[in-house]
Amino acid sequence: MAQTADAASLSAKDVQVLGRVMAFLQPPPGGGSIAVVFAHDNAASRHDAEAIVALLGDGLRSGGGMLRPMLRDSASLEPGDFSVLVAAEGASGDAVMAASRAHHALCVTGDLAAVQAGACTMAIRSEPRVEVVISHAAAAAAGIEFVAAFRLMVREI
Amino acid sequence: MQHCVSSKRMAAIRFTSAALCAIGAYVVLGAPIALAQPVDYGALEQLFGEPVTTSVTGKPQRVTDAPANIEIITQDDIRRSGATSIPQVLQFVTGVDVRQDGIASVDVGIRGYNQASNPHLMVLVNGRQVYMVDYGRIVWSAIPVQLDEIRQIEVIKGPSSALYGFNAVGGVINIITYDPLNDKVDTATFRAGTPGYLGGSAVATAHIGDTAGVRLSAGGFSARDFAAGPLQGDDRAARLSPYADNFNADSRWRITPEIETFAEVSLGQTQLSGQAPPGVFGSERLLSNSVRMGINADTRLGWLSLSAYRSDARDNIYNVNGGVPIQVGDYQSTYVVQASDLMKLGTDHTLRLGLEYRADADDSGDLAGGTIGSMIYAASLMWDWQVTPSITLTNAVRTDVMQLHYSGTLLQGTGISNADYNHTTLVEPSFNSGAVWRATAQDTFRLTLARGVQLPTLLQYGLQVRPGFYAPLAFIGSPDLSPSIVWNAELDYDRALPVIASSLRTALFLQRTDDVIAWPFGAPLSIAPTGMPLFRSQNVGYSTAAGAEIGLKGHSDSGFRWNASYALVATTDHTALNRGPAPTSIVEYAESAPRNVVIGGFGYSRDKWEMDLMARWQSSFLDYRMNQDRTALIPVTIDNYVTMNARIGYRVTENVTVALAAQQFNAPALADTAGPPIQRQIILSLTTHL
Repeated sequence: MAQTADAASLSAKDVQVLGRVMAFLQPPPGGGSIAVVFAHDNAASRHDAEAIVALLGDGLRSGGGMLRPMLRDSASLEPGDFSVLVAAEGASGDAVMAASRAHHALCVTGDLAAVQAGACTMAIRSEPRVEVVISHAAAAAAGIEFVAAFRLMVREI
Repeated sequence: MQHCVSSKRMAAIRFTSAALCAIGAYVVLGAPIALAQPVDYGALEQLFGEPVTTSVTGKPQRVTDAPANIEIITQDDIRRSGATSIPQVLQFVTGVDVRQDGIASVDVGIRGYNQASNPHLMVLVNGRQVYMVDYGRIVWSAIPVQLDEIRQIEVIKGPSSALYGFNAVGGVINIITYDPLNDKVDTATFRAGTPGYLGGSAVATAHIGDTAGVRLSAGGFSARDFAAGPLQGDDRAARLSPYADNFNADSRWRITPEIETFAEVSLGQTQLSGQAPPGVFGSERLLSNSVRMGINADTRLGWLSLSAYRSDARDNIYNVNGGVPIQVGDYQSTYVVQASDLMKLGTDHTLRLGLEYRADADDSGDLAGGTIGSMIYAASLMWDWQVTPSITLTNAVRTDVMQLHYSGTLLQGTGISNADYNHTTLVEPSFNSGAVWRATAQDTFRLTLARGVQLPTLLQYGLQVRPGFYAPLAFIGSPDLSPSIVWNAELDYDRALPVIASSLRTALFLQRTDDVIAWPFGAPLSIAPTGMPLFRSQNVGYSTAAGAEIGLKGHSDSGFRWNASYALVATTDHTALNRGPAPTSIVEYAESAPRNVVIGGFGYSRDKWEMDLMARWQSSFLDYRMNQDRTALIPVTIDNYVTMNARIGYRVTENVTVALAAQQFNAPALADTAGPPIQRQIILSLTTHL
């Protein structure tokens, strides 16, 4: 992973946690891409997404393969093969969740409020300690399952 | 003899029934969600940045979230300690007392209540109990685990009977080894040092794809024991040189993504000197083996687990009485079958149902005149509720039903018959409740309440030592014994201190033990109905304890690490023991462990070097040994002392490490019990990681 300045919504350590979470997906994605999504016509959101892509560098290892990051506009998520969606600042919402359901992709954000509202599946925070919060409804709607021990150790809402 | 359940116990049983009904009503409200795959400790620890445990509730948890006071000793801690045995690592854990009177003769206690052949501590290896059923003691050199194959040692302080059953009253130590399927450990270690110490171990892991794994380990040591010190005559003559050899094979096979099986086999032998029986110095030679098998399955009913194990030990105890060697032997066996179901209901509730059957037996013509045994049937329920994002409530209840049995020839004139044993049944509930409140990102409060049950050990029930064997009078057990009940309340406060890269932990606790058990060697003189004077196991009153602990631990990115702690345990006995001018029992908890303990440590790692220094100061306490004609106890004051350990390690290559360790380098000998003092040890080790 590139060592750059932290993005506004996800830090370098948050991205590191995301990489480790991949091993607890059931089954773990064996390849494909990570769609880093910014809100349509939102410059700040796009800037945040670009910083997250930089933090992801070459991508995340998962299931023997690599998940490569790619920048995506929330208004054009229908085509493409992605296993994970990372919602940048302001990007969580109906379009992202629709894409998550359609692609059975895990939606990840640093915005806990978005997960509480069901607008994304997983929120990650690494400081002051690692916290992972999962929307049970959003995960079920997208067909996302996790390893049992992991589910027992994270907070579900 | 039918054991009548007291009104106090009936109230406890009614509480258990009501609690089960309430929880049962809650269970039917939610449909269980199927779970999958076992606990990958390494991956979870990497994810959450702290150790993970299942030892407190049966469900995987971060250590900081667990509703109990638990300390984790990692493999890095074990390596840096320079220890050659598990007790040497434990002596630097806050709240843990280690008493040692031989290289391999060690007793460990948590928060006081330590003694020779301590029955208050439960020790497990990956959840399998490893204590001796004769006196409920631990023979540490017989545990078939090499230090290099330990992932972590979990130390839980206070009663945990609701998860582990009888005898988990002082605390629980769970030794977790690396996973044969997820971890690959291949090491060989050679050690040489003083006094005449030679030892080593080898650990090898083989994987078959990602579906099966097996880990083999073997190791042992031989040494000259500590010098006899104050021991004279028969006690001195009965000491034999210590050694141990152990072998273990641990395997796991993932049959399908939802089903896995595991199997473990161990063999071992050890010889050690120590107190056998308590107060009398002798030696023992132990041959032990165990087999364990099980299956885990992810089903619509939750994560089901079924396991069974059998372990047995052939024990020979060697004493000298009046210049005449005495050898007694026994055969101890244990059979256990355990089943559990762990399920998450909705988003906030986790339940664990458990069933257990256990059969223990001690077959000894010398010590019991036959076979004394017990069968235990237990059912347990654990409920973990995430009440709010910052508050978790955990409740666990368990009920154990114990039936005694005896076959053989009892001593004449004691007034006890075989039927008295065979009609003894006990029903005992236990519980553990804990609330964890994460008040802020840095502050965590923990309140726990517990009722633990300590069952009399098999020889406390069934000992049959004839007059003239150890002493002029007979020593016998009693089927009338009530179990000891331990009540515990504790308040903990933890605070993260990121400014100094440390964490602060504090604890306050109160404990009361009802129906303290004095085994025959520590009981007051009794007169049997026939008029025969003898020493007989009996319940002798109650004991209370109050204590506090405070500790600071941290490490820096530049390679420094530090820890400091203080522990206080103030114990008061309200028993019928030792009321006269001369002591009659070693059971004197108010005096038998140090009241104050201070521990400190400092370490530094840089490049290929690793250096650590550890120190422990403990206040004085009282111990006993028997006089030469076995007619009286001699009280011995163990003065306060400081012990200091150090280790320097150097990584010669990526795979080879050389280390020099000194145990108790500050003093050539320190009296730690009424027996031989601990001698300074210098150990050179060579470790290869393949």
